[in-house]
Amino acid sequence: MRTVRALAPYLVAIVVAAGPFLTDDRFLLKVLTFVGLNALVIVGLALLFGFAGQVSLGHAAFVGLGAYASAVCSVRFGWPWIVGFIAAGSLAALGGLILALPSLRLKGHYLAMATLGFGELASLAFVEAEPVTGGVDGFSGIPFPSIGGFEFREPAALYWLVWAIVGIAVLLATNLTALRPGRAMRALHGSELGALASGVDTTGIKVRVFVLSATLAGLAGALYASVVGFVSPSVFTVGSSVTFLAMAVIGGTGSLAGPLVAATALTLVQYLDALIPGISRDTARIVQSFQEDVYGMSIVLVVLLAPRGVSGLLKRLGSVGRP
Amino acid sequence: MQCGTMVAELLQFIIAGLKSGAVYALVALGFTIVFGATGAINFAQGEFYMLGGMTGVLLTTWGVPLPLAVVGAVMLTAVIGAAFELVAVRPIASGDPLRIIMVTIGGSVVLRQAALHLFGPDERALRPFTAGPSLRLLGAAVERQTLWVWAITAMAVVVLAVVYRQTMFGKAMRATSIRRDAARLVGIDASAMVTASFGLAAALGALGGLVVAPLTQTAFYVGSGMGVKGFAAAILGGLGNPVAAVGGGLILGLLESLTAGYLDPLYKDAVALVVLLGVLFLRPQGLLGGRGTEKV
Repeated sequence: MRTVRALAPYLVAIVVAAGPFLTDDRFLLKVLTFVGLNALVIVGLALLFGFAGQVSLGHAAFVGLGAYASAVCSVRFGWPWIVGFIAAGSLAALGGLILALPSLRLKGHYLAMATLGFGELASLAFVEAEPVTGGVDGFSGIPFPSIGGFEFREPAALYWLVWAIVGIAVLLATNLTALRPGRAMRALHGSELGALASGVDTTGIKVRVFVLSATLAGLAGALYASVVGFVSPSVFTVGSSVTFLAMAVIGGTGSLAGPLVAATALTLVQYLDALIPGISRDTARIVQSFQEDVYGMSIVLVVLLAPRGVSGLLKRLGSVGRP
Repeated sequence: MQCGTMVAELLQFIIAGLKSGAVYALVALGFTIVFGATGAINFAQGEFYMLGGMTGVLLTTWGVPLPLAVVGAVMLTAVIGAAFELVAVRPIASGDPLRIIMVTIGGSVVLRQAALHLFGPDERALRPFTAGPSLRLLGAAVERQTLWVWAITAMAVVVLAVVYRQTMFGKAMRATSIRRDAARLVGIDASAMVTASFGLAAALGALGGLVVAPLTQTAFYVGSGMGVKGFAAAILGGLGNPVAAVGGGLILGLLESLTAGYLDPLYKDAVALVVLLGVLFLRPQGLLGGRGTEKV
């Protein structure tokens, strides 16, 4: 049991890395790339929600900010892709800092409301700032990612690029949770007062985690824009932020694996009609029109019945099975 | 521009600001009441505003006379609010504010989606409470419905103040919000007061959604935006203080309308977020709050 537990992350990493060798279905690879993009956002949200105990209803807006920033950098300014990618992360980080500093200085959960306001405003701004974002029609003609002379245009190359960045983010987050900041976050989640009394800079930790999670969302946005080649404002709504939050909540607190599993499962549901060949178009449409209901309901049910989420349930099963 | 028209223009902006401000005040009162009872922010508050307007429209299309439809929609939303508390909030025995917030976030999604499935995606409008042309006031126009907005908001505030000060129920609500365990010691059913606070908050939100539905259209998605504005209003005045919530609502409405009028209508919706972040940063106890955080 213990060896399985220790080897599992490596096995998952190998399977993920081998993805393009296991299938040559271009569409499936694209869907799995989207899974990777959501996973990148969820790594940040899992730290924010599951470790630091803070709620964000605006992460889709950070994804949007990153997507438009990289699109503008590469299309309007003609800058190299990597510069736009870094600019996207920096802009999202700055936005995160502006929201986090006032909201997290105080006790209570003002950040949730501030991020909701930011999310509402951003989805308006993406439509209204037509000269920059292209308005309702969206922003098109975004080039593929390229580093040095190499252009990532094949689905397999895009898949590897996205999942490599997810891998780096997961490593970073794992280290973060294993070391001092992780202990500080867990202390904070247990009892803010207790953490404060033990000398933890609770505000500083919360602000840094939020900025990190906003940055990862911005980077995911930059990748999204160049993978798809087109950005539409309808993607970055508060509804999408709720979807991200649902992935983090269902995945569970104090874990990275749980939220990543939830993100994978919930992202695949969105492409149900394409993934399961036999399914009728109507069934898929009905499932998809009730998706948000399911997300809202699962947030309520998880909080009421299993506050530690899927990862908590798995841990409980694991401890039952152990001698 | 002539002095007279400038004054009329300013007056027009002030009227518009106090109109939306009154609605923000009703939503803000809902936030304040639930915060007083639970110490948590109710993210479903905006959805109660939406449900008020939408059920009002539905009842009138079924041929229910308008006054009855308004009363019916308020009562129905209040029942939904109280039921929501019983089903989703009361089981959180620890009263942990983070879990209450999460439940209200999930609940708000469920309510919004239910409204989408029941009422459809279209925007709807309610018939004005009294028909007729706008009234003129020093060169500015006042829609009849705006007078209804002010009258009903004022009435709701007065009734609420009387209930809170004079009745046993109001005193029990205040006692619960000051100190829950102490209230329980003197025989107040504190959990019933939390249920009542959700019902009352829902009724106030619904009232806001109803009085403004003839002026601005309503739809299943209007809740979360209104939630942010109502919360900004509540915290601008000072969270937990009902008088301050009303003041905060009116000030936020005026700021929005003057921004839209003199700067650019595009910036109107940014005002609430700027106010929210500004107040949190500079004066988290609100404009009317004293030092520290007081409740009610």
